[in-house]
Parts: sequence; structure tokens; C-alpha cells
Amino acid sequence: MERRRIGWIFLICMVVVLLGPHVHAGAPTETIQARINQVLEVLRDPALKDEAREVKVEKIRAIINEIFDRTELSRRTLGRDWKKLSAEQQNEFIDLFNRLLEKVYADRVLNYAGEKVVFEKESELGRDKVEVQTNIITSDNKEIPLYYRMISKNGQWAVYDVIIEGVSLVKNYRTQFGDILAKKPPEELLEILRKKVNEGDTSS
Amino acid sequence: MRTRLAIGLILALFGWLYIPHSAVASAVQWSNALAQQNQESTGDVSSNDDEYEDDEYADDEYDDETALIADPLYGFNKGVYYFNDKLYFWLLKPVARGYKAVVPVEIRTCIRNVADNLRFPIRFVNALLQGKVRKAGSEFGRFFINSVVGLGGLADIAHNYPALNTSQEDLGQTFAVWGFGNGLYLNLPLFGPSSARDAIGRLGDTFLDPIWWLIDATVTRIAIRGGETVNETSFRIGDYEALKEAALDPYIAIRNAYVQNRNKLIQE
Repeated sequence: MERRRIGWIFLICMVVVLLGPHVHAGAPTETIQARINQVLEVLRDPALKDEAREVKVEKIRAIINEIFDRTELSRRTLGRDWKKLSAEQQNEFIDLFNRLLEKVYADRVLNYAGEKVVFEKESELGRDKVEVQTNIITSDNKEIPLYYRMISKNGQWAVYDVIIEGVSLVKNYRTQFGDILAKKPPEELLEILRKKVNEGDTSS
Repeated sequence: MRTRLAIGLILALFGWLYIPHSAVASAVQWSNALAQQNQESTGDVSSNDDEYEDDEYADDEYDDETALIADPLYGFNKGVYYFNDKLYFWLLKPVARGYKAVVPVEIRTCIRNVADNLRFPIRFVNALLQGKVRKAGSEFGRFFINSVVGLGGLADIAHNYPALNTSQEDLGQTFAVWGFGNGLYLNLPLFGPSSARDAIGRLGDTFLDPIWWLIDATVTRIAIRGGETVNETSFRIGDYEALKEAALDPYIAIRNAYVQNRNKLIQE
């Protein structure tokens, strides 16, 4: 009798140990993995190869919007300065900031040259927040650690920050926006962003 | 004798740059606190941040890290930033481009591998100084395999063995592990973003660099370093441009990215 009970307890423990982490750790990784695969499909699709840039960007944008929490990302980027903006300004900021990110990163994504994405692990950051750690392996065998920070809202996992080689996108922009907002009103920040989003290439 | 004196002087200079930082930082903090007090007393509601603490963003894990590094030498650093920027666009980039067009990628990779393999003592000694025996072991295994099987480091054979792949170590990171903070931000001509701590580390690391004791002529050393830089840049054309394009203020973006990236390396 006693032995049997111990047997049951052991079995339950095993089940918890074996299933627990997987059930728990799976959702965010699976979510982002599915979306990355969708993006890679678009990039690899031979039918799209000769299509215009805008066609591909449009397809990728639709996928990215599914997985990125644009509001959360924008809000965290401004941090405590967020409240200095009126509701209207906040909406414009979300729009402009995301257009800026798209403008900057679209070409990097479109320049895809067979890099591999390896999922390393998922680590918990706190309540309803995890970091999904991936490695991008480039064609010349360099590894670029790329982590996605995700938050769960109503059971949906969405990305609110991307960390490349330890550099958080949110933190990096926050220092820049913070510096501007320390000296200038929000309206001027929006004006700077408008110009930045609408200007042509100015990399040199 | 004269070189030793010069090294001593440079170390003293960096020491001087390092020590005043705490004083500078506390002065900055103090003046900020004073400014805040003034604003509060004048009833400036727009900059009243206190309500932030107990609202829905209180879980923000980045909040305490926004300042990251003191930059009392802002004027100097900004000047160096413009200098390095022009140096990249006017000299380094065109040279690296031409070089890339002429030299096939296989050869460039070999040069990169040899340079990397040669720097083994820096990584090995610093891993040991940080008490990371396992990492030092991996570094040694990596050096051994690449030197023997990889023909003096031409091929990065060790790359196929995950156990032998470790992150970079240098003296700046060792100092950090020993408990030293960044000190102040320093943008170095030619070398780019650094901090008082990492600049001293960089100087120390040159003595662990085989080029320092294998080659006597300073001109040759500089030529080798220059060649390496061009080779490395040939792999990365476009990265700096993208970073600049993404930024609203490239200087601040680079400064912040430097510290964040270093913090990650230190943790590893």
C-alpha cells in the first residue's frame, strides 16, 4: 500500500518534471517561431523574387504587426516621458516610431542571404514576461545573438523589445528620446520624427 | 626606457580620467536633484515624475538603467565622434570597398581567422584573471586545434565544436568582473567608443598581443593593425551606416549601444 502510494507520487512528479517546462515554456517561443518562419517563407518564395520591393514589404509588415505590440513598444521606449504626450500625440508617436523602425529594418530583412535562426532558450523575466533567445548564424559563420522580449496580454504573446548583441532597441531609443524631451516639448520630438520618416537616405 | 616613461605617463593620465568620475557623477546627481527641487518648488507639473512609480508601468525593468554612463567629456567625445565619422566615410570605407572588390572572401576570412587566433593570449589570460577556468580551457583547445589542424589559424576548425566557442574576453571586462565601473565615457580617435576602464584595459591588452613582442618596428605594428581593420571592415560595410540611419542622435545611440553591449559581454 505504502509502496504503491510512493509509486504514484513518483509518477506524478515525473509527469510534472517532464511536461511542466515544455507546456509552460512553449507558447512564446512557438508564437515567435511561427511568425519568423512565415517571414522566411516570404523571403524565400521564388514567385515573389522578381516582385517589387513594396509587395514583399507589405506581406512582411502584415506578419510583423501580428507579433509586435506596437503600442507597448512605443510606450516603453518613452518610459516615464510617455505621459508628457497627449493621447493624440501618443497615437502619432506610435505611428511615426513604427514607420521609422520599418524604414530602417525593412532593407536589412529584405537583404536576407540564407542566415539561419536557431532558438536557444526561453527565460522568464517576471510576471507574464519572457525573453526568447535566438542566434542568427550568418553566411560567414558569425553568430549574432538576437533576443525577443515578449509580454502576455489576454493569453496572447507579443514582442515589446528586441535585443541585438545585448543592445536593447527600447533602451537605446529611450536615451535618445529622453535627451530630446529633456530640452524640448513633445511636439518637437514628433516634428523630428516626421522629418526622419519622410526624408530620403542620408547615411553619409 | 623612454617607452616605459611614455606608458607610465599614459597610465597616469587614464588613472586621472578614471578617479574624478565618482566626483563628477555625484556632482551631476547633486545638481540634478537641485534642479528637480527647483522645478517642484515652482510648481512645474509637467515634469513631476513621481506618479510614475505606482502606475501600470511600474514593472518596467529598464527604468534604472537609462543613464548608464557619465559623459563629462562630452565636448571632446563629440569632436572625436565627428573625426571618426569622417575617417570612416572618407578613408576606411573606400579603402575597404576597394579591398573587398579585389580580395576574394575566402582569403579575407583566412586573414580574419589568423588575426583572431593570434589574439589567443588576450582571451586566455583574461579568462584566467576572471577565474573562468573552463572558458580558458575552451580558449586553449580552440587555439590548439586551429593552430595545428587549421594550419596556423588559417581555418577556424574549432568553430564546428560548440564547446570551444566562447565569447570574447579582454582586460576591460576583467576590471569589470573585479568590481570596477565604467568610469567616464571616452570616444577614442581611431578606436571609437570606450570608457576610462576599457581604455586602460585596451592599453593593457596590447602587452598581451603577440604583435607587441613579435614585432619591433612601430611602423610595422601600425601597418598590421591598419590592415586588420580594413579586412574586418570589409565584412561590415553598411552596418555603421544602418546604425546611423536608425538613430535620431547617432552620438547618443552609439554611446548607449556601447555600454549595453559591453554589459552583456561582461556578464558572459
